[in-house]
Amino acid sequence: MNIIKESAPHLRRKDSLARMMVDVIIALLPVIVFSLVVYKLAALRNILLSVATMELCEFVFILIKNRIPYDGEKHTIKEKWEHSIKGYGINSFLVPLVSALIYALILPASTNPEGLIYFVVVTGALFGEIIGKLVFGGTGKNIFNPAAVGMVFSELCFGSKYNHPTSTGYYDVTAGATPLANSTTIIESSKALVFNIGDYSLLDLFLGRIPGMIGETCKVCIIVGLIYLIIRHTIDFRIVVSYLGTFSLLMLFAGIIIHAKQPEIGVFNFLGYEFLSGGLLFGAVFMATDPVTSPITRPGRLIYGAILGVSTVMIRLFGALPEGVAFSILIGNLCTSVIDYRKWSTNAYTWKNILALSLIVVLALLCLVWALCVEVFR
Amino acid sequence: MIKKATHIEDTMRLLGELPTIKAPVPEYLYLATDNARCPKSEIFIKEGDHVNLCQPIGIRHAAFFDQPIHASCSGIFVGYEKHYHRSGKLVNFIKIKNDFKDTMDPFVKERSDEEIAKLTKDEMTEIIKNCASVGLGGSSFPTYIKFQTKAPIKTILINGIECEPYITADKRLMLESPEDLIEGIKLIQQAFGCKDAKICVKKKYHELREVYGELLSRYEGSGITICPVGNFYPQGWEISMIKSATGIDVKTGTLPSAYGIINFNVSTVIGIYYAIKYNLPVYERRISVTGNGIKHPSNFVVRIGTPIKSIIERCGGYKDPEIDKSFILGGPMMGASLPSDDCIITKTVTSVIVLNHKEYKEEPCIRCGSCVLSCPTGLEPISIMETMRSMPVNKEKIKELNPLKCIECGLCTYVCTSKIPVTDYIRRAKVIAKLK
Repeated sequence: MNIIKESAPHLRRKDSLARMMVDVIIALLPVIVFSLVVYKLAALRNILLSVATMELCEFVFILIKNRIPYDGEKHTIKEKWEHSIKGYGINSFLVPLVSALIYALILPASTNPEGLIYFVVVTGALFGEIIGKLVFGGTGKNIFNPAAVGMVFSELCFGSKYNHPTSTGYYDVTAGATPLANSTTIIESSKALVFNIGDYSLLDLFLGRIPGMIGETCKVCIIVGLIYLIIRHTIDFRIVVSYLGTFSLLMLFAGIIIHAKQPEIGVFNFLGYEFLSGGLLFGAVFMATDPVTSPITRPGRLIYGAILGVSTVMIRLFGALPEGVAFSILIGNLCTSVIDYRKWSTNAYTWKNILALSLIVVLALLCLVWALCVEVFR
Repeated sequence: MIKKATHIEDTMRLLGELPTIKAPVPEYLYLATDNARCPKSEIFIKEGDHVNLCQPIGIRHAAFFDQPIHASCSGIFVGYEKHYHRSGKLVNFIKIKNDFKDTMDPFVKERSDEEIAKLTKDEMTEIIKNCASVGLGGSSFPTYIKFQTKAPIKTILINGIECEPYITADKRLMLESPEDLIEGIKLIQQAFGCKDAKICVKKKYHELREVYGELLSRYEGSGITICPVGNFYPQGWEISMIKSATGIDVKTGTLPSAYGIINFNVSTVIGIYYAIKYNLPVYERRISVTGNGIKHPSNFVVRIGTPIKSIIERCGGYKDPEIDKSFILGGPMMGASLPSDDCIITKTVTSVIVLNHKEYKEEPCIRCGSCVLSCPTGLEPISIMETMRSMPVNKEKIKELNPLKCIECGLCTYVCTSKIPVTDYIRRAKVIAKLK
C-alpha cells in the first residue's frame, strides 16, 4: 500500500462522457426503430453508411493525431501502431457514432436517381466529420455541429435530387414533397398568397404519417427521447424551451396575420402545423442541445435558443429553402463564441442578459410583423 | 450530466450517529513550532525541561499577529523532530515525553460568574489572545483579531453547518456539549453587546434541531435561536451561510463585519468559553476518522499533538491494504492530501480521511457547463481552463475572468463529466492573476 498525493477535491460525481453519449443513443433508439420500421432497408442503408464513414474518419484521425513525435529514431510499423492505437478509447467510438446517427436520421430515404443516395450519404458524412469536426481538433473543439454541417452540405449540393417515397405502407400520398415544401413555395409566390396547409392533419404530422427526412417525421418518438434526455440531465432543457418558445411566439403572430388575410386558416392550426412539421423538434432536441457547440451559461443558453428560434422562423417564412433547422443551428453555433465572450458572459440572470434576450425576440417580432403585413395587405 | 451539483454523495453518513470516543494519550506528543500562517517561532524551554499541561512553552510569530504555543500534556521536553504538518510541509515539531500525570499548569484558573460578567470586550480579547484561540473550523485565523473589530455588530452567526460530506465532528460536538456552546454564545453576546445570535445547522439534522429547541426554551430572552439552512455544499462557506441565514449579500473582498455580522465556528465558540471560564487553551479537539480506506470509522476526542498513525491503529488500521490510499486532512472536497501518514494532529485538523486511490482518465472537455452551473461564486471555470491551456497564457485575459474570486470549493472538478481537474487550472490561474 502506498499513500498517493492528489489534489483536492478527492471525490467525483458518478458520471462520465461515455455515459452521456450512451444516453443520447438510447434517446435516439425510438426514432431509429421508427425509421427502420417505416423505411426498412433505405433507413438501414443511411445509418450504416454514415456510421461507417464517420467512424473510419475518426479512427484515421486518432491514428494520425497520436503518431510518435519525430525523435530521430526509426520505429517499426508495429511500434508506430501500438503508440497510435493508445489514443483510441471508448469515447473515440461513441462520439462519432452519435453524430453519425443524427446525420443519418436527417437525410431523405431516397434520391432521384436512386443510386445517387450512396454518394450523397458518404460525401455528406465525410464533409460533416472532417470539415465540421476534425479540422478543429476533434471531439470538444468543433464550433459547428458535425451532423448539421454534413446535412447542409448534402442539401445544398444535392437538394434538388431529394425525393421522398410516396408509399411506405405506413403512409400513402400522391405528391412526393414534404408538407413544408408545399407550404413555403406558395408563400414565396406572394401575388396570390394562398397558404396551403396541405393534405395532412395535425394527427398525421404528430404520428409521422407524412413524407420527410427519415428520423424527423415521428414526433412521438422524438418526445419520448426528449423526456428521457431531460430525466437523465443529458441535455440542458433551457435550449429546448427557449428555442421552441421563441419559435411558437413568432409563429403565433405570423398565424394571426395570415388568419386576417385567409380566415379559413385557424391561428392554432397554423401554429401546430408549423410546430409539428419539418425537423424542428428533432433539431431542437438532438442537434441544438449538443453541448460542444452551445454556450456554457444559463442566460447564454436562453439567448442561443432564441437566436435559433428566430432564424428558423425567418428561413421558413421568407427563405428560399422549405426547411431551416439545420441552417439556423449553424447560425446559432456561430453566435456561441460571441455569447460566451468573457467580457459579458455571466451565469447570473442580470438585466443585461434579459435585455439582450428580449431585444432579440422583440426585434425579430417587429421584423416579422412588418414583413408579413407588407406582403399580406399591399 | 448537465446539472448543478446540489449535494455530494456521502457514503459515511452513519458516522454522525456514533458517539465520540476519548482517544488514549500517546507516549510522545508533538507540537508544531510553526504553521502555514506563522513562519517564525520562539521556544522558551530547553531540552530536558519539565512542562505542565497547558503551560505556554513558546510563541509563533506571523505577519500581523502572535500565537502562543501551549503544552498539551505534562512531561519532559525531549527535542525536535520533523513531521508533516497539515499544510503538507515538513515542519519542526517539539517532542514531549508524556508522564501520564497531566499536572495542570497554574496558567489555568477558573473565573467566577461575577468576574466574567464584569469582563469587557478588550479584556476578553486579551484572554483569548493568551489562550491562542484560533478558528477551529480549519482556517486557523486567530479569534482575537475577529474580536478586535470596531464595526457595530448586529448579528452573531454560529457556523455548525459542516457542509462537507463524510465529516461529523461538529455535529457530535453540538449534540454532546450543547450547554458549553450556549454559554460560549452568551459570552460573545456580552462582548459585542448584541442580542441576536443564530446557530446555523443543516436542515436535515432533525436531532440537532430538537435538542436545541428543547434547550433554548430554558434560555428565554437570551436572543439565541436555531437557524436551519440548506443541506447543499458549500453552505458552510461564510458568504453562503450569511446569505441563507440573514439574506444579506456580502460582496467578495469585504468583511462580514462591515454588514454588522460576525461568525464563528461551533468548536471555536466552545474554545472561547473554555478560555474565558477556565483560562484553558485548546489542548484537545474532536476529529472524525473516516473514509472507505479505514476499517472502523469513528469520532474521537484527541490531544493536540497526537500522531495520526496511532489514531488509525485505534480504528483498526487500513482496510484493503493492497489498494493505494490517499490520505486527507480536512474534508474530502477541500482538504489537503499528504504524501505520508506520518502526520500530527494540530488545532485545525477537523478530520482524517483515508480514501482508496482512484485514477481517472481525462477526456476532452465537451463544454457541458456543469461547472459553470455549479460554481458558487459565479465564475466560468471552462473559460479559465481554456485560457490556461492556450500557450502562452494571456495574463490580461486571465485577470478579466477574475479567478481570485474562487474559493477552491472543488465543485468544478467534482461535477466534471470529462474528469478534468478543473480546480487545478483555476489554482494556477489564481497564481497568474496575482502577478503584477
